[in-house]
Amino acid sequence: MRPLTEEETKIFFEKLAKYIGRNIVHLIDRPDEPYCFRLQRDRVFYVSEAIMKRATSVGRDNLLTLGVCFGKFTKTLKFKLHITALEYLAQYAKYKVWVKPNGEMPFLYGNHILKAHLGRITEDTPEHQGVIIYSMADVALGFGVTARSTQDCRKLDPTTITVFHQADVGEYLRDEEHVV
Amino acid sequence: MDVTPQLDALKLKYKSVQVDKLIPVDFDLGNLVAFDTNALDTAALKQSPDNYLQQLARDGTQLLLNQIFALPTESTPDGVFAALPAGTSVLPRAKPIPKDKPMTRWEKFAKIKGINKTKNTRKVYDESVDGYKPRWGYGGANSTEDDWIKEVPDNADPMEDQYAKASEEKTARIAKNKTQQLRNAQEAAHAAKGVNPREARKAEVRKRILESKGATASMGRFDKQLKNEDAVKVKRTKRKFESNTRDAGVEKEGVMNVVKKVLKVEDGKVLNMTTAVKHVHQQGGERVVDMDERKKKKQKGRSKK
Repeated sequence: MRPLTEEETKIFFEKLAKYIGRNIVHLIDRPDEPYCFRLQRDRVFYVSEAIMKRATSVGRDNLLTLGVCFGKFTKTLKFKLHITALEYLAQYAKYKVWVKPNGEMPFLYGNHILKAHLGRITEDTPEHQGVIIYSMADVALGFGVTARSTQDCRKLDPTTITVFHQADVGEYLRDEEHVV
Repeated sequence: MDVTPQLDALKLKYKSVQVDKLIPVDFDLGNLVAFDTNALDTAALKQSPDNYLQQLARDGTQLLLNQIFALPTESTPDGVFAALPAGTSVLPRAKPIPKDKPMTRWEKFAKIKGINKTKNTRKVYDESVDGYKPRWGYGGANSTEDDWIKEVPDNADPMEDQYAKASEEKTARIAKNKTQQLRNAQEAAHAAKGVNPREARKAEVRKRILESKGATASMGRFDKQLKNEDAVKVKRTKRKFESNTRDAGVEKEGVMNVVKKVLKVEDGKVLNMTTAVKHVHQQGGERVVDMDERKKKKQKGRSKK
């Protein structure tokens, strides 16, 4: 476990900013308790200072997880967000997409969101923008990237893809062994 | 018949070849230039600048031509020619003076020994073809490739292929020359930097040895040591990370600096005009587009009917 280097921090926040924009400040500047980001086995964890200090007594090989895993760095130093980060992404999301009840299951099985399943979308969402996906009952289901802007979405074929799937809560079951 | 008026008219038409100047004009006949150092008549210049300057140019040219005609001439079937003397004006160079090429090792050696380069003719007479051949190069006189017979020296192995031997020697010569060229270029580069080429080469070799020794799995730790060999210690820069238990305030400050940089780039990317205008009008608040809005409206309309 170690703090992120400046380069890693930059790459990590650049990715986060695609989903929550300026709200990344709220992750660092918290009124309740000091929180920090720590790297352990290429994974980035968001953890309270107190817990992190306790975890320093655990050896590197024995420490599996602490706090919330936001994602991991690839060997080529790219950052990949994991579904476990959804809790915070959903809280501070800039652009949102709501799927209709009939589109929930297809999305939770890892499919892209079709126009027919698109319930609502934040106004003025640009193309290729990171978005958080909710059910119509405002339950966060995952996140992805828009294939079309909001304006383009209006006049589309029902079978065209509107949001590309990136992660969904179905992974907790499907990829249980990989979720940390 | 009196032809004086006609002659006067002709005289008026063509100006005199005689030009008077207060200060004699300087000439550089080699470059066909005349330098007139006389003061300008400012009144005349102001009155009609074009006329005055034209007059001045004409006089200067006349003087220059007078000088040229005074030169010794030579008459040929093509016409009369005057031989111009060498130019006296010094003209500035357009390009800087080329730098001396760095001397090669051979050139240095030859200079010390006093060996002078003798210029040979490019072509030499070849008896076998009864004609001239280049001294070297393509189809050169020194080529032994198309010899139809080769003598086997007394002390040589009789079964040895003399042709193969000759071609091998040639490739070896070319390779040697190439390494020498490379060495000369390297030495010149070092000398240009003000480094002693010999010392630079030594340092380079030492560095290479160190690198090769550190290239084993144990970074040279378990390698067999030669006699009188220095023990090699490969030092690599270690990665350094901040401490886990650093003061939270300091860490936060560092992270915030990175965030500021990231957000600056992010903000610069998109300024959606419509969003900005709406933001001002509505004082923020989330705006959502319902995809089934039209359908719902239609249905409402139907139910009313």
